[in-house]
Amino acid sequence: MGPRALNAAMESFHFAPEYELPRWPFQPPPELGGRAPVRHPIVIAGAGLAGLTLACDLAQRGVRAVLLDEDDTVGVRGASSRGICYAQKSLEIFERLGIYRRIADKGITWSFGRTFSGEEEVYNFNLKTDSVSVQPPFINLQQFYLEWFLVERILELGLTDLRWKNRVTGIVPGEESVRLEVETPAGRYTIEAGHLIDATGANSAIRTQLGLDTHSSRSTDRWCISDVRFKKPLPTERWTWVDAPFNEGRAVWQHLMADGVWRIDYQMPEDCDPAHVSRPEVAGARLREQLGPGVAFEFVWIGPYGYRDHLLERFRHGRVFFIGDSAHVVSPFGARGGNSGIQDAANLGWKLALVMRGQAGDALLDTYDAERRPAAAQNLQVTSRTARFLAPRSPAEHTLRRAVVALASRHAFARALVNTGRMSVANDYPAAPHLPEGGRSVQNLPLRWSDGRPTTPMQLLADATKCLGLWFAPTRAQAEAAAEVAASLPLQLVAVGGESGLPTLQPDDTLARHLGAESPGSFCLVRPDAYRAARLADPTPAAIAAAVHAALAQGA
Amino acid sequence: MTTAPHIADDPDGFHAEWLAAHQGLSEARSAILDARLVLLLARQCGDPAVLLACIQAARAPWPAYDPTAYQPSPR
Repeated sequence: MGPRALNAAMESFHFAPEYELPRWPFQPPPELGGRAPVRHPIVIAGAGLAGLTLACDLAQRGVRAVLLDEDDTVGVRGASSRGICYAQKSLEIFERLGIYRRIADKGITWSFGRTFSGEEEVYNFNLKTDSVSVQPPFINLQQFYLEWFLVERILELGLTDLRWKNRVTGIVPGEESVRLEVETPAGRYTIEAGHLIDATGANSAIRTQLGLDTHSSRSTDRWCISDVRFKKPLPTERWTWVDAPFNEGRAVWQHLMADGVWRIDYQMPEDCDPAHVSRPEVAGARLREQLGPGVAFEFVWIGPYGYRDHLLERFRHGRVFFIGDSAHVVSPFGARGGNSGIQDAANLGWKLALVMRGQAGDALLDTYDAERRPAAAQNLQVTSRTARFLAPRSPAEHTLRRAVVALASRHAFARALVNTGRMSVANDYPAAPHLPEGGRSVQNLPLRWSDGRPTTPMQLLADATKCLGLWFAPTRAQAEAAAEVAASLPLQLVAVGGESGLPTLQPDDTLARHLGAESPGSFCLVRPDAYRAARLADPTPAAIAAAVHAALAQGA
Repeated sequence: MTTAPHIADDPDGFHAEWLAAHQGLSEARSAILDARLVLLLARQCGDPAVLLACIQAARAPWPAYDPTAYQPSPR
């Protein structure tokens, strides 16, 4: 027994007290013991990140929904936290939903990442350099806090029928509605949903019942998380090791979350015994090796895991929509799981709202699949490449990785090949009739009204479910000609500079560059989910109307 | 991708330097050397379409030179 192992054997490891998560009461739903099934226009199954974000997004837009969850609390039972990193686009969505301040106050803001090989730093990045948003590139926060904030916001908005301890046991899809069988502690009942959104996660029973193939695959790569508190001053940065000397040459991730909890994720040998590697004394010895002697620490949680992936062929099946993990699962590298679930929800929310109000047709709902399915496919490709870099499958792949890492420490070009995760981005959407140039996310830039009051695109989009027409220095005559068209459509016109009589923002070069609308008179149509839908060089009233109709998938 | 003769006017010299670089290395170290060399050369090219064509050309089976099919004759 070496001195290190001896220390480890002598050391005792203890756990922090468990988090006390809120519980919400089960309330017997009115349908229990009821008559004919009640029809609800929107039913969301699953109150995880995606389901809660969708319910909150709809409520923010004034749209009611029933939200069913089999549990009565937030987070995942038995786990400390699943997701930890929330990306800028998600944070911008939460700004619009009214919970960003709480997230920022509780969470850990970061933008800088470093990648090491052995003792040497081979690569670093600062995500801030590409950002023009008020929101930072990332905030780390235990997932249950985020879900907690969402639940409280949903309750505050008061439009969601949130039903805890209500489990969907079966569905019958129909032409006009979907029938749901629901089980509760007080008995079973049946409801009808105009639209059912399945947000029940990776193991969706709804998806299984419909017999939909997910093309799933399971990795042989094994990891073990230690969530831990310690008193060693370390920078608030994302650190990754391709091959850490303190983890027998395997990969390690290190991230700070709220409450001073570090998430340290260790790659394990493929043939490891998960029960063994997650024993406190084994995990403790790993940590001791990493932190060095004399650094006191306490565990919050230890969890071994393997990852898997899957991708549904279609995210819409008639009146059933799949969002979040029920539609797609990717390996955790780059934080592309939870963030894409949140962004699925924000993509679908405004579309459902406009369809509920009769301001758009059913075809708009098809664009959910047309946009989020390619986004998920891209996330799957990106994360799979990272997984492959981190777990070479043959001696040849090991050789190629060693060559990349060796060159990266000396030559800038090779650093781009070191892949310890490509952080979640707001995916672009492919060009389609409703998105002639494809869709690009509009960041939440700081802006000012002409009188100096501050605003942002998210604030402009928060009040109503309308497209935003940002018009660069229109003339008064142009604005007056377009007023009638705007009044008949879900469209608010805002000028950027000029004397048009419209609500007017101060001229802003960053905004113009970001939107790619730099010539005076040009017009940029931004959707309610802050995606750029179209740019018009010659925004006549007819052209503006055509662009809005196209964006809402209302064929010419 | 171009495959016309190109390595300046001294292909034998390049080949000799390449062999010399491998001199005395184990099989594993030789493999890493070649992998590093590929990366550096790929950077000189930089064109994804050309790089992909080169990967495909290197991977294409041509029986007479297939290294896995090659068996040295006993001597």
